[in-house]
This record gives sequence, C-alpha cells and structure tokens, in this order.
Amino acid sequence: MKIDHKIVASFLLFLMTVVCIVSGVEFLDMRTPDVIYPSEDLTKIGKLSDYFEELKDGSGDTDIYFFEGKEPGATVLLLCGTHPNEASGFIAGVLATENVKIKAGRLLIIPQACLSGFSCTDPMEGYPQSYTLESKSGERKFRFGSRVSNPLDQWPDPLVYSHFPSGQKLSGFETRNLNRSYPGRPDGTFTEKVGYAIVQLIKKEKIDLAFDLHEAAPEIPIINAIIYHEKSEDIGLNAILNLEFRDLRYAPERSPENFHGLSHREWGDNTDVYPFLMETCNPIQGRLRGRTNSELILTGKSPQYLAAQETGKLRIEYDAEGVPLDKRVARHLQGFLEIVNSYNEFFPEKTILLEGLPEYEDLLENGLSNYLK
Amino acid sequence: MIFWLYIVILVLLSLVIVKEMFEERDWKKQIALVMVLIPFILRIFLIK
Ligand SMILES: [Zn+2]
Repeated sequence: MKIDHKIVASFLLFLMTVVCIVSGVEFLDMRTPDVIYPSEDLTKIGKLSDYFEELKDGSGDTDIYFFEGKEPGATVLLLCGTHPNEASGFIAGVLATENVKIKAGRLLIIPQACLSGFSCTDPMEGYPQSYTLESKSGERKFRFGSRVSNPLDQWPDPLVYSHFPSGQKLSGFETRNLNRSYPGRPDGTFTEKVGYAIVQLIKKEKIDLAFDLHEAAPEIPIINAIIYHEKSEDIGLNAILNLEFRDLRYAPERSPENFHGLSHREWGDNTDVYPFLMETCNPIQGRLRGRTNSELILTGKSPQYLAAQETGKLRIEYDAEGVPLDKRVARHLQGFLEIVNSYNEFFPEKTILLEGLPEYEDLLENGLSNYLK
Repeated sequence: MIFWLYIVILVLLSLVIVKEMFEERDWKKQIALVMVLIPFILRIFLIK
C-alpha cells in the first residue's frame, strides 16, 4: 500500500511542530532568571542600564548589588559571570551577595556580567543547561550558560573580529565575548555596549579595586592564576605571597600589554581602577572532559583528565580528587579576600572592611550549601 | 537591519521547503527537508 505523499508531508510537519514545541519549551526555560537572596547589608539593587541607558530592560541589563558601609572607604567591584559557562565565578558572586557584611567602604557585586550568555549554551558542546546546588532552603537551580552573548542578541558574527579601538584581530566568535570587548563603545555591537556600560560604571562609581572571576580548562596555562594589570602588581604579589603562607598556590600573571579587550588590560588602561582577574580549574571546559553533565560541573572529576595527567606528556593541573565546585569557589573567595587585605595594606587611609565571607578552610569544611540561603 | 533581513530570508526559505515537501514523493527526502526546517522555525520565533 502506498500512502499519498501529501499525507506524509502533513504528518511530518505535525511531528516537526511537536519537536519544536518540546525543544522550544526547554530552550525558553533558560530565560528564567536565577534567584539571589542578598544579605541584610544590601543598600540597593542597581541596573547596568543606569550607566548606559540603551541597555534598559534588554537582555544585557544585569543587576548590580550595592553594599555600603557606615564608614567611608574604598569602593570595590566584584564582577562575576563574564563567561556564563564558568560556574565558580558566578557562584562565588552569589555566595558573596548572600553573606557579605560591610563595615567600611562600598562593595558592588555583579553576579552575571554577561547576562545574555546565561540564556543559551554553546553549540556543539553538549553542555547541560543548569545544575542544582543544595542550600539552607533546599535545592536551588542555577543556569549554566554560554561563553559568549546569545546569538539572538548579536548576529551575525564576522569572519574576523576586529577589536575596538586597538584593531587587534581575533576569530569571529570572539565578537560576542565580553572579555574581548572592553573598553567597548556606545554605538558598537551588543557585547561592546555591555563592555562600555561596565567601564562607565567603574568610572562613575569611582571603583578603586575590581575583580573579574573566571574558570578555564585544566590544559590552559593560566588556570589557578591571578592576572593583574602592571599598576596592580605590588598589591597582587603581596596577596599571592600571603596566599602561599596558607599553602594556597596562585600563579602571578602580568597582563600582556598588547593583548586587548580583556578586563585586566582595558579596565586598567582606561580607568583609575586596580584590576584583577582570577581563574580556577574547570574540567567541563576542557577538550578531554568525557561525559558532559551537571555532575561534572559540581565534582570537577574526569577520568579522562586523570589518564591524560598520568601519561606525564601534558602539563595539566589535575589529581584523582578532581576539583569540586566548593573548592573552586573557596579559591576565588580567598583570593578576593587576600587581594582586598593587600589593597588595605597599601592604602590604609582608604580601606574596605568586609565580614561574613568564609575563609578557604571554612568553606571546604562546612560546604557550599551552608552559605547559600 | 541585517538581523531582520536574515529573518525574512529564513521565512522565505522555510516556505520554499514546505512547498517542496508537498511536491516531493520520496519519503526519505521529505524527512531530510523537515529536519532542515526545525532550526529555521526555532530561529524565526527567536527561541534558539
Ligand atoms: Zn572566562
């Protein structure tokens, strides 16, 4: 029996509609905002569009949490979620927002700098869309996004991305990478506008010290590094020395002067801030990672990386225990606290005094779940 | 501007594919056509 081809076409179109609805619902779920419960010391929640009107109510208009102490002091920016597929930076930002207490100075936290990138995942990577963490109030779901802005917000990618204003050439994909888009411009691409707004915020709020938290694959040489602009060198090296005294190793990396578009270069060159970028080790970003699921985000355990490391042929920082999210967040927070302490030593007349954030050992002992509301 | 031009091109291509589906007699080719259509539809509705 031969079925009429028009009936087959109608049936296939119906099947296609079902597939589009089912996958569409799943994709749209990534637009549900992550929920953060700020600590009682919160002064106000601002928006990135307060510094560049054009972003208002759009997918780049991220929240800025302000914590202002009773005593005057330095203003610090903790910027997380530049790359939404790097969970430890984002979760360190969430943890800081939910726990910090401030005595002197001001702390501004942006947990999701590239908000647009939280609404999709990178194509061809098989990444999970979210992961679940235990917290004091039960399970909480967080989005695991893309390295770059959502293509729905910025399209098309050029073959070659030319950075403004340096003219430096990078691959076309990097045109949506926030950490290649500084200092940005008001009439540029979507991602350049977000970068521009962040630089305006640093200028307008007179930020003294700024952080950009990242993760990278085990085979990337800069993991476990603190990258600093040359003007931040003394503050950074002093902090790294103090971290060594706690048996925590961070590689000092001076920001290359001719590598443009990155926070540690452009914030430093274009504003008065002392910038720092920190990296932790995240196996899910690596090419050898094997099974790619939310478990890998949380445990950082990959048998493939262990095997690669045991061959001795690759320079990989990895051991059998893996690098769980707790440890990666603890490293970020301890690095942040030591750099803040170091800044206070260099500028005793203008300090920032923070409380409520767990030290490295405390976070590992009590677990991340005890610091999430 | 270029973004909307892209969407218009996608809509036109999708219409051509649907028309082609009803003219094609080989069911295997019809399946290939419908698979091409899925990402087009998701992009037209700005879902993915
Ligand atoms: Zn990164």
